[in-house]
Amino acid sequence: MISRFSAEIATATLTAGLGLAAVVGALEFGIGWGDAGPEPGAFPFYIGLLVVAASLVNLVQATVGREGLRSTFLDHEQAKRVASFFIPMVVFVIVARLLGLYVASALYLTFVMWFQGGYRILVSAASGVAAAVAFYFVLEYAFQVPILKGPLEAALGLY
Amino acid sequence: MENFASLMHGFGVALSTYHVALMMVGVLLGILVGVLPGLGAPNGVSLLLPLTFTMDPVAAIILLTSMYWGALFGGSTTSILFNIPGEPSSVATTFDGYPMARQGQATQALTLAFLSAGFGALVGVILITILSSWVAKFALRFSSPEYFAVYFLAFASFIGLGAASPFKTIVSMGLGFAFAAVGMDTVSGGLRLTYGFNELLSGISFLIAVIGLFGIGELIMTMEEGLRFDGIKARVKARDVFKTIGMLPRYWLTLLRSSAIGCWMGITPGGPTAASFMSYGIAKRLSRRKEAFGNGAPEGVVAPETADHAAGSSAILPMLALGVPGSATAAVMMGGLMIWGLNPGPMLFIERPDFVWGLIASMYLGNIVAVLIVLATIPLFASILRIPFAIIGPVIVIVCFIGAYTVAGRPFDLWLALSFGVAGYLFKKLDYPIAPLVLAMVLGDKAEDAFRQSMIMSRGSLSIFWSNGLVATLMVLGLALALGPLLSGTVGKLVRPKPTSAAV
Repeated sequence: MISRFSAEIATATLTAGLGLAAVVGALEFGIGWGDAGPEPGAFPFYIGLLVVAASLVNLVQATVGREGLRSTFLDHEQAKRVASFFIPMVVFVIVARLLGLYVASALYLTFVMWFQGGYRILVSAASGVAAAVAFYFVLEYAFQVPILKGPLEAALGLY
Repeated sequence: MENFASLMHGFGVALSTYHVALMMVGVLLGILVGVLPGLGAPNGVSLLLPLTFTMDPVAAIILLTSMYWGALFGGSTTSILFNIPGEPSSVATTFDGYPMARQGQATQALTLAFLSAGFGALVGVILITILSSWVAKFALRFSSPEYFAVYFLAFASFIGLGAASPFKTIVSMGLGFAFAAVGMDTVSGGLRLTYGFNELLSGISFLIAVIGLFGIGELIMTMEEGLRFDGIKARVKARDVFKTIGMLPRYWLTLLRSSAIGCWMGITPGGPTAASFMSYGIAKRLSRRKEAFGNGAPEGVVAPETADHAAGSSAILPMLALGVPGSATAAVMMGGLMIWGLNPGPMLFIERPDFVWGLIASMYLGNIVAVLIVLATIPLFASILRIPFAIIGPVIVIVCFIGAYTVAGRPFDLWLALSFGVAGYLFKKLDYPIAPLVLAMVLGDKAEDAFRQSMIMSRGSLSIFWSNGLVATLMVLGLALALGPLLSGTVGKLVRPKPTSAAV
């Protein structure tokens, strides 16, 4: 179980880190006055500082008001549901990079329908392939927008 | 009268078979994204935008705005029938819409919602027709310091008027500006904040951010809550529709008041969500039958819906005339205009009057088309929500990632969308507002340019922001808005942070 307090702290730390990254990154490009007015780093530098400062206030607020943040951010049941949705999605992105978006879409839909929806594997696979084919025609023909393809499309000569 | 002639010209542009067909397609797609969980108006427009790059700008903007209207209508439908707001801005509609539907008055609730929404939108569009060229003419006097002051005012009003903690708003906004700064610097042409990654050379697209924050983040939220649709079967009967139309004039006061609230919140960047909550609250406070609110009071449907749509349509006014969008969706559309090579702001009225007035005319037509279509197709769209989530969920995920890829054709964007999705989930759960981030990403470069040009004009002195009455007024207003809650709230909030749960 994750408490709201730890989630607040983690997020504020993360945003402070991103702000700091902007500050550090901006320093490289100069934050002072150049030939053409303020140097490229100036604006991101001060924005970064602002983010860091506001994140620190959020950290302080969360710490001071710790009592009020005892509530649950994510309980065991919710965490399981989020994970069961999130992990296949990450795998989908990895597979999409390797095999292309169409194949990944077909596999992903098949898996979720079969594994989480409780459909028979044949029904799931048919739906997955049908969805991928439908996306193919809508995107490549109707809108003429090519999207990421992999070895399967290459083997079929679909370019 | 000059505006009226321009508007007539605009109708000439908008009223072609092609454009009306696009309106219908846009509205249907919009209702679809509005009904589906995880796909809202900003996200739907972001997904469709890359597909319109090759279209004529007038046709493209008609398609996108029609989608916006459709999405607003779709969002209210699920609020009423399923008690699930399809859009954050239709949360307030669930308070009375769902009880009405449960009492067997689904048709009345839906018809009231659509008609009052149509009324609100119409008021918004009339306001745009009357004010836009005047605002644009006024804005022609603006130079860089004034522009920066307007941007500043827009962001200050998020801090001052938003429901979320002002510091969380600042974090969200600042991150938006930081993301916008990644990649090419528009003034010097050099690269910055790429940290040596080739993937970051072309910057971070706001479209990816919207798809991740609004789409994937929302889906993770939906999954976590354990989705269950307890829908109410709705058959829209023609007789009930007409009866409800007859009822509508009874609520004239609520309609007018809510339209005024909506227009105000739409023009200032309060956005439709804040407008609908505020309108609901005021309607309840002023009502003689307070106890009916929450148990299916018709005013409880009319008030938030009118304000929601009035805000949604009037958010287009500052986008067109000043280049400052009034809502997240308007921000996405403005980003689209810039991609099509149009520069939103006063010059647009001079350079492309056909575009501006075609758009405004299409807003009249689009809303009428939307009301008709939504009344006719609601049973169909409601049945989509009966498809098990194990099918519809992954399809939405696939659409989001394909959409992210079509933005620039870069595989890296898939990871970026995923990261924004996680961020969106965290932000939503912890009450960080998302709209300021999107607005900052779209306006980042323009705001920075305005600031740097002002600095060049004044040779580095900040006093340029007080150099004349106009810019000083804007800056003072902005400072008052930004610092007001910080000063008054800091003391109280340090002692006791309040766990707000208002969604933006």
